[in-house]
Amino acid sequence: MASELTTEGYISHHLTNLTCGKTLEGWTCNPYKVDQMGFWAFHVDSLLWSVLLGSIFILVFKMAMPKNLDSNSTPKGTQNFVEMCIEFVEDNVQSLFGSAKNPLIAPLALTVFAWILLMNLMDLVPVDFLPVLAGHIAYALFGYNEVTGGGVEWIKGPESLYFKVVPTTDPNITLGMAFAVFILTIYYSITVKGAKAFLAELTLHPFGKWLIPVNFVLEMVNFIAKPISLGLRLFGNLYAGEMIFILIALMLFFSSIPVGIMGFGLHLVWALFHILIVALQAFIFMALTIAYLAMAHETEEH
Amino acid sequence: MNINATLLAQAVVMIVFVAICWRYIYPPILAVMQEREKKISDGLEAAKKADDSLEEAKLAYDKELSQAKAEAAEILDKANTRASQIVSDASSKAEAEADKIMAAASTNIENETNKAKEELRQQMSDIIIDTTQKILDDEISKEKHEEILKKAAKEL
Repeated sequence: MASELTTEGYISHHLTNLTCGKTLEGWTCNPYKVDQMGFWAFHVDSLLWSVLLGSIFILVFKMAMPKNLDSNSTPKGTQNFVEMCIEFVEDNVQSLFGSAKNPLIAPLALTVFAWILLMNLMDLVPVDFLPVLAGHIAYALFGYNEVTGGGVEWIKGPESLYFKVVPTTDPNITLGMAFAVFILTIYYSITVKGAKAFLAELTLHPFGKWLIPVNFVLEMVNFIAKPISLGLRLFGNLYAGEMIFILIALMLFFSSIPVGIMGFGLHLVWALFHILIVALQAFIFMALTIAYLAMAHETEEH
Repeated sequence: MNINATLLAQAVVMIVFVAICWRYIYPPILAVMQEREKKISDGLEAAKKADDSLEEAKLAYDKELSQAKAEAAEILDKANTRASQIVSDASSKAEAEADKIMAAASTNIENETNKAKEELRQQMSDIIIDTTQKILDDEISKEKHEEILKKAAKEL
């Protein structure tokens, strides 16, 4: 937003979402009015990319399979890749979930893995590329014209628009997914174990039935810590990765030429290393999702 | 970086995507994969079975072949024996026939010879009588010297 480019301005520009919400004057995406929006505001950029990437996942998996699918056709091209993914997920579900059969778990795991992998991969797109592009498009389409007063009042230049590309660097996205998993955990805990057994699990240990309030507080902390740690783990890793990309990008813009050249090398090194984090975090999120749901299916005896 | 309604929106989006995957994407692909897996394992098993039966058929074939060979050898043996027997039978028969024919022929020859001799004797005695008659004329009559003539004919 800063009219002149400063280090802090650059960093904060990259770490702020395009937020739309309702203010007293109605719906707006004006970054200066985010404070007035309260809870009912949406990070449009995060949601846009998350829906877009999720749709890509669904489409690729749908298109990869031939129209008249049967076991006689030889798998070709993308179908092999899709089947490989499904086999990978199926293996993981088998090993983590064990005997309890629930047909939702494997599709859930596949969706979570593929989707998070795609969202994390957006981190590898150069940090300025898509935000600047989006800024210019927005300015060209809705830019404020001082003479006529047309366009959107707060888009005064390409850099007025905040645009964050990596959805998993937004805690709302990762915690949102963890929240969905949390709801599923509660749902299956109640339906599979029964409400009574579920409550008993939350209240009757570790200290037996004479200390139910203490047990409940302890178990509740344990229970709620799971989704929060699940969401924050992914967010933290990707946010840190994104941050380092931004800092490396700073070397290119705000320092001498030799440091800038070094920045290119660092960029490559960090990108290569980040591929590992991208895949690993997607896998961890998937594995933990399966594990938490497996716990919801276990009727443990204490 | 505030926590806001994005969280709820993302949870809803996630549930929608999971539902789509659960309903339309995952099960058909998995079903096809499992079916194919089953087909392949069935095929391999069938191949193994076919291999086994081939082995069995080979063994049976070998057995049959050796049996047939033995039988053929036996038949050949028998045939040989029989043939030689027939040949020897035929040759002994032929020899007997030949002997018979020879014997018949020699008897015949003897008969003819005797007949001829008899005729010759007859003619000779006639000629001698004629000649003697001519010589002796009436001196000697056939009736008177019947005895002597018969004696002479016998001596001839």
